[in-house]
Parts: sequence; C-alpha cells; structure tokens
Amino acid sequence: MPEPLPADVIRHVARLARLRLDPADVERYRADLSAVLDFVSRLEEIDVGGVEPYAHPLDLSNRFGEDIPEASMPIEDLLRNAPRVEDRFISVPKVLAEEGSA
Amino acid sequence: MAAGAEVHCGSTGPLGFPDLPPCDRIMPLMGAAIASTTLKVGLEIHVELATRTKMWTRVPNVAHPDFYDLPPNSAIDPVVAALPGALPVMNREAVELSIMVGLALGCTIAPRSKWDRKNYYYPDLPKGYQISQYDEPLCYDGSLRIPGVAGPKDIGIIRAHLEEDTGKLGHELPGGGRFDGSLVDLNRAGVPLLEIVTQPDFDDAEDVVTFARELRKICRALGVTEGIMQRGHMRFEPNVNVIIETGDGHRYATPVVEVKNLNSFRAVRGAIDHERQRQVDAWRKDGMVMGPGMKSTRGWDDVRGITVLQREKEDAHDYRYFPDPDLVPVEVDADWLDRIRVRIPELPLARAHRYEHDWGLPRKDALALTDEQALCGFFERAVDALVERSNRAINEGAAARALSKLILNAGAKRANERGIGVESLGISEGQLADIVLLRDADRIGSSAADELFGLLCGTDEPAESVAGRAGLLQVRDEGAVEAWVEAAIAAQPQAAQDFASGKDAAIGRLVGAAMKESGGRADATDLRDRFIARLRT
Repeated sequence: MPEPLPADVIRHVARLARLRLDPADVERYRADLSAVLDFVSRLEEIDVGGVEPYAHPLDLSNRFGEDIPEASMPIEDLLRNAPRVEDRFISVPKVLAEEGSA
Repeated sequence: MAAGAEVHCGSTGPLGFPDLPPCDRIMPLMGAAIASTTLKVGLEIHVELATRTKMWTRVPNVAHPDFYDLPPNSAIDPVVAALPGALPVMNREAVELSIMVGLALGCTIAPRSKWDRKNYYYPDLPKGYQISQYDEPLCYDGSLRIPGVAGPKDIGIIRAHLEEDTGKLGHELPGGGRFDGSLVDLNRAGVPLLEIVTQPDFDDAEDVVTFARELRKICRALGVTEGIMQRGHMRFEPNVNVIIETGDGHRYATPVVEVKNLNSFRAVRGAIDHERQRQVDAWRKDGMVMGPGMKSTRGWDDVRGITVLQREKEDAHDYRYFPDPDLVPVEVDADWLDRIRVRIPELPLARAHRYEHDWGLPRKDALALTDEQALCGFFERAVDALVERSNRAINEGAAARALSKLILNAGAKRANERGIGVESLGISEGQLADIVLLRDADRIGSSAADELFGLLCGTDEPAESVAGRAGLLQVRDEGAVEAWVEAAIAAQPQAAQDFASGKDAAIGRLVGAAMKESGGRADATDLRDRFIARLRT
C-alpha cells in the first residue's frame, strides 16, 4: 500500500469540489483516494518519450458554428430549475464581488 | 547580496503569470535612504468580442450592438445555463476576430491551439468551469509601439487568448429596489472574451493609459467591439510593483499587486499612481519584497481614489486546468490566415502617421481625425472629392489640410453639440469639398464658410446655391463695396482718423465695421486694400 495522502489534502480536495466531509470519513478517504491514485499511476510506467501529447482523442479540428443568432430558451425553463427566483433572476446567497469572476 | 543586484524572487513564467522560485523576505537596512523608485507595470485586458452569437452556442451575444439591452436572462439556452448534456460549439467569427487583434498586435498566430477548463465554483459560472486557453494560446509574442512620455516605446504582448465571459451578479431589482442576496443574470455568460497580456514593460502610468487608448482604437478600427467602457466592453487589470533603489546600491522589488476590473482610463491611471505611492510607503514600514505568496489582489474605489485589498475567492488559484474534452483544437493554416489578413484595415496610428508625413497635417490634427474609423473614411472621401472637383489644381496634401481644418473646427463644434460624429451631421463629402473651393476662390469669407457648413447639414443642395440664397457669397460689385467702406468710415470716425495718422492697428476696426455692413459678404483683403487707398494716399 502506498503512503496515505495527508488529511489536509483530503480536506482541501473536498472543499474544491464543494463536498461536505464528515471528519470521521477523512481517514477512510486518505486510504481510498491514495489507492485510486496508485492505480492510475501505473500509467507512468509507459514510455511516452517522443510521443506528441494530444488534448483530444478524435483526430478532428475546426468544428465551428456560424455566427447566426438562433432563438433563446424561454426564461421559464431556466427559472424552473432554480432553487430560488426573484423577478427575472436566479436568487443566490449574497456573494462579495458584484462584477463577476472572469 | 551584491550591490546593484535586484532583490527579485519572481520571474515571469511562459504563461505570463508569475512563476516564483522560493526566496526569503529580505528586510532593507532600516534607514537606508531611497535613491530612486521605478514603476513596473504589466497589463491584462479583457475585450468582449461583438460577434452576433455567443462563444459556444448561437444565442444572441449581449456584447453585440443589436442585443445590448436585452432583459435579464433572455440570452440563454441549455449551453449557457449548463444543463446536463449540453455541448459547446466554437464560434468561427470569434476566432477570426481574435486573430485579427493578434495580427494587429504583431503576434504569432498559433498553427494549433486548444481549449482548457479553468475550474472554480461561483454563482456566475453555471458550468463550474470557464473554458479558456491555458498553455496553447491562439496568439502570442507580439508588440505594440506607442508614443510614450519618453519617446516611442514598444510594449511586448505575451499572449492573447480566447475564453468566455461569466454571468453577472447584482443586488438591485428592476426598478431600483435593493435585494439582500445576489441576483444571477446569465446574459453575459458565454460572451466571447479575448484576454490580452502584456510584458511588464511600462514604467509610467501615462504610458499605460496611452496603450489602453490605442488598443481600444485598434479594436474599434477592426470592428471587434464598439469599446463602450461603461458597458464593460474592455476591462483593464494592471499588475503593479515598484523597484526601489537605495543609496547604498541595493535594489528591492515590492510585492506585485493586481488591480482588478478597471473600466475607465481614469481608474487605470488613478490605481497605478496610488499603488506606486502606497507600495513605497508599505516597503518603508515592513520591508516586504516580491516572493512566493506575496502577490495580492486589490480593487479600485472610484469615489475615494484609492485601491483596497480584496478578499480572495477561496482557493482562487487552484484552478486545476485540464484540456476540455468537449471541444476539438483550432488549426489555422496559411490560407485561412491570408483570408483573415485581408479583413484588417489600415490601423489608426499608421493612418495618423500617413496624414502627418504624406499630407503635412499637424500631429494633433492627424490623431484627432484617426480617433474614429468612420471619420477617417469621411475625411478621405472628401479629400478625393476635392482633388477631383478642383481638376487636380488642388493636390491631396493641400486638400487634406484645408478639409481637416473645416472638419475639426466647423464640424467638430457641431458634432459635439449633437453628440454624434461629423460624418453623421448630414453634410456630404462633396459639399465639404465645395466649401473649400468657394473659399479658395475667395467667393466666401472664413466666417461665411463656418456658417455655410451649418446650413448644409441636412440638405442635399449644392453649396453654392445655399451660399447664394443665404447671402454668403462675397460681393464684387464696385458700388456696393464702396458704400460699405463709406459707411464704415462714418461709423468709426476715430478709427479712420487714427489709421490716417499712421496707427496701423486701427484698420481692424474699420474692416470689421465694413464687414458688418456687408453682412459678411465682403472680402476682408479687398476691404483692407480699399481703406489703405482711401486713407493713406
């Protein structure tokens, strides 16, 4: 068995994925996640020297759409899926940046 | 540490993001006097591309003029809302517009580039990731020459890559009511966004503003965006630090601050000026220098004119980039590149240079004329019209000089009053040429030329007939002109006496009086000659 991942790494990954983790489960995930990583790391045994990395399994490129507007979806279909709605908006708990995150 | 060595723990990585090797914080020798400070700024610019549809789907793009004011959450579909199973399809036009900007900035266009996911959770990002380009940007390695405060300056462009904008979070309901929570509007989500990153080549806030303005002009000339700052079409994020040199020859680099989301030139200048001062003050207090984990993010408080520390989004920098499996790469071959190149018009600075050097326009006028693409076209068509209507008696340079004066005086005045461009005032290029011809033949005076300009706005009639009907054509009738001269002498006896006794300046009042009598129809030079003949011989 590989060395289990540190507990704070497990907690960090859980937070990035917005998963609430029971403190009691951290130990279990340390072992499980380490085993998963260990399994995947077998790929490192393959010699890929001189092999061009590729980002996509299909030998395709330049699949474009033309810049011609089509109809939007009815707003009702959007808001129907929202947990809370206010006027024409999806309502969420208050967040800091008003301008957006991009 | 050797004297003269720069205390600088960071270097810029291949992506333009700081890639910092470990280093210790180095405390300055307290009391060492600062001999000089040098500002160092790199700029990131986000440009919303005005395609008709969004980056990954064909719903309307709210950055296109046809769709500026759509009601909230009406430019949406399953791709924008990230409903299960929705798949993105690249917008060809967005790729072409990005390449046009890249070429205008002298960039290399990548023969192949790909898409990556930048993962983070935020309510304005329904997918939970932004599609961007991480290590294979579409455009890279360019530069733009600007007229800097210390002379011409080349600003390096590290990269220009394509990504998507996020939705908007607001706290105000339609009609103005405050809402205690955040309101998500997805209209902006998925708008094509071009991110341009410069080298940290700026050492003066003024040059940053010059660059930003020039970039805006280029983008407008290319038709990539209308560049309306209030709408957030262009957002600027300067990365600022200061190199401090002490009297004993040591150099210290203060920690880099990124100021987010500036959407006016005033804010860009203000934020950089404020940071320059604040960072030197902070260094005096704490001696902190650039190093790992030392970069911070600040926002601009427009009211107080200062930058304020922003609380970082939790784990903001753990984006776990990986290639997006839903999209295939972009490959740009020579043929496609040639077809895109043809779409690029003459750019504003090159045009201004031509006006200045080929046509002899003052630099200030050349820059003013090239501010707007539509005005350049109007001006150049008027030059062609004037050269042709004069049967080539007036050459291009002379035509350009006369017309630019008319446009920048009589035209700009009226355009500003109405808040539109001179080309939209309703006066044609041919009418403009005719005003110059009438003036050139001494058939109208200079004040009449201005008045005629105004009268021609909104009518198709020839300039000469409008001038004739309005009594603006100069009168050559001997009797009439002599009568105005007589009347002027009667009205200004003191001036007449002064001029007769040798006071040259007094002629101004006499010519003015005669001109008034004539209703502006007399020729000032002719009047002058007549007063000299009458009173001095």
